[in-house]
Amino acid sequence: MNLMGLQGGQYRPLSPEQIETIHQASLQVLEKTGITYESGLEDTVQMLEDNGATIDRDKKNIRFPKSLISEQVAKAPEKVVLCGQDSKNDLHLTENRVHLGTGGAAIKILDPETGEVRSTTLKDLYNVSRLVDQLDNIHFLVRPCIPTDIEKADYDINMFYACLSGSSKHVMSGVNDEQGLHDVIEMASMIAGDFKSLQERPLISIITSFAISPLKLCTQSTLIMQEANRNLIPVALSCAPMAGSTSPLTMAGTLAQIHSEQLAGITICQLTNPGAPLLYGGIPGMANLKTMGYSGGAVECGMMNAAIHQMAHHINVPNYNSSGLTDSKVPDAQAGYEKALTAVLASMGGSNYIHHSAGMLESMLTIAHEQFVIDDEIIGNCCKVLKGIEVDAEHLALEVIDAIGPGGNFMTAMHTMSHMRTEYYNGNGVTDRRSRGKWVKEGSLDARQRAAGIARKLLETPESCCIPEKINKEIKEKFNILL
Amino acid sequence: MTDFNKIKETLVSLDVQHLIELVNEALKKGTSAVDILNDGLIAGMDIVGEKMENEDMFIPEVLMAAQAMSQCVEILKPLLGDEGSSTKGNVIIGTVKGDLHDIGKNLVSMMMESAGMEVYNLGVDIAPEDFVSQIREKNAQIVCLSALLTTTMPMMKLTVDAIVEAGLRDQVKILVGGAPVTQEFADEIGADGFAADAGSASKLAKKLAA
Repeated sequence: MNLMGLQGGQYRPLSPEQIETIHQASLQVLEKTGITYESGLEDTVQMLEDNGATIDRDKKNIRFPKSLISEQVAKAPEKVVLCGQDSKNDLHLTENRVHLGTGGAAIKILDPETGEVRSTTLKDLYNVSRLVDQLDNIHFLVRPCIPTDIEKADYDINMFYACLSGSSKHVMSGVNDEQGLHDVIEMASMIAGDFKSLQERPLISIITSFAISPLKLCTQSTLIMQEANRNLIPVALSCAPMAGSTSPLTMAGTLAQIHSEQLAGITICQLTNPGAPLLYGGIPGMANLKTMGYSGGAVECGMMNAAIHQMAHHINVPNYNSSGLTDSKVPDAQAGYEKALTAVLASMGGSNYIHHSAGMLESMLTIAHEQFVIDDEIIGNCCKVLKGIEVDAEHLALEVIDAIGPGGNFMTAMHTMSHMRTEYYNGNGVTDRRSRGKWVKEGSLDARQRAAGIARKLLETPESCCIPEKINKEIKEKFNILL
Repeated sequence: MTDFNKIKETLVSLDVQHLIELVNEALKKGTSAVDILNDGLIAGMDIVGEKMENEDMFIPEVLMAAQAMSQCVEILKPLLGDEGSSTKGNVIIGTVKGDLHDIGKNLVSMMMESAGMEVYNLGVDIAPEDFVSQIREKNAQIVCLSALLTTTMPMMKLTVDAIVEAGLRDQVKILVGGAPVTQEFADEIGADGFAADAGSASKLAKKLAA
């Protein structure tokens, strides 16, 4: 059952009037308050000034006239196709089409053998990539953990390599610097065939956290973003303020600030290279006001992430956001309800590329193999909701009702046989619906234990590198691959 | 030489038309109807029962297999003669008095028929005395009692008691089943066995009738 790319939009937390109000508020922020920038962005600032922005270099302030924003934002493509090494994993990001996958930069993992928390390694990243490759409902692979066992200088190429060798799904990650970006583009070009083929079928895309909320351009990420624009490599314009610390406490204020940051970022990209493929990357989050940490599992995160898609849709740009997080430390009941609620809300909102929705615990700090399996099931359920209820002659089944007649049963009707595998969601095996007796007989396992068993089995399947052998060899000769 | 594995596989894959062809071919080749029944069809239904127990098959598929099986049995019946009537035990089955639930019991009945047993399905809301008279009339070796309601479970005990009082307890094995019924309850009321699903019920009945 392929449940990828179904239309969401059934849940619309913002009315059309509210969307317009927020959009106007964001334009006003850019015109009146403006944004600031770190040093090292002189060329970018000059480009903005040449195109009509008002620059105060003493105060490091950029103010954008409304016309500049509307003109540039209109150039951003309304559809972005992100490809997998296997084309069945291609993602068509547009309208309210929904995709969910992994995300984050966790530094801890619940060890699959001991269950104890430890630091993540490059091997963990590879194993998780293999797991994601085999879990059908996880639609893409955003590098979910950091290889803390290797030197930072080796991160970029090794992270992409671990993901691309373990999974044929689309791979997205951040990079540390422009050199890292060029290396990664070179490696991906080798896999795609050549650079042009990579531009046509982008197997990779780059997360660029260009904005330091509130309203400040980060030099390094902005430069990486612009360089990716020039190379026509898709970018996700990540900005993730937390309501109450790096954006206003209120949801509307947080949405307005994010939308401002996004409009500014998209303007920079489109001035850099008109038509450059990008994803609106606003990620509304919440600060835990008792600790100032992140509250990823809050139901309002689901609500706000649905709302931010509405804002992206309003300007006809596909979006990247976040849902399916939990603040729990282990795959427990809290993890289950927080993930299910936020993921279903963001999905029903129509979000195009929902990352963070598989494998994570403790907001974005920890991953666990069993959690990927459980989240695969949650995502499947979310997508099933989007599929809706089909009402046509075949599904109304009046002929069958008449043929069976009052007092009969439908168990052996051909109609039952022909729909029983498609009408309802078939799980990945983690959900238990057996009798208590059978459940006891098989060890009285809870969902976490069943998921761990499934993950173990998936990783026991024979390893086969997703990169063709010859190219893999060339990559290993060219780059410092540590896997 | 008839390939019984092929008959079994075809039954499990629910290809009714092909199954009928295979049975007719086997007869043409001179394979005995009894062998086709026992080594092909009933052996195939054993696999279906197992798959059902392991929840590898949907119930509608199990029922379809049972229907395919009985279509084939219709072909074989005239050829089975006396040999064929040596079925693997007479079973009577019914839902106890006060309980009108039908489907689970019918599933059990169908699975037992497919396993080669002679099954008399009495229906629902069956009083203890009716079970007793049917045991006598059908010369049953196995009695299956079904209940879905916790409120009608005590009627199972009364039915067992009635069988004891009628002096028929040694003649029959009593099996109980239904959603709220457990092995403990079966032991408590003095039944001989409990099964959680139709596949294991049929397996248990075969074992007890042997």
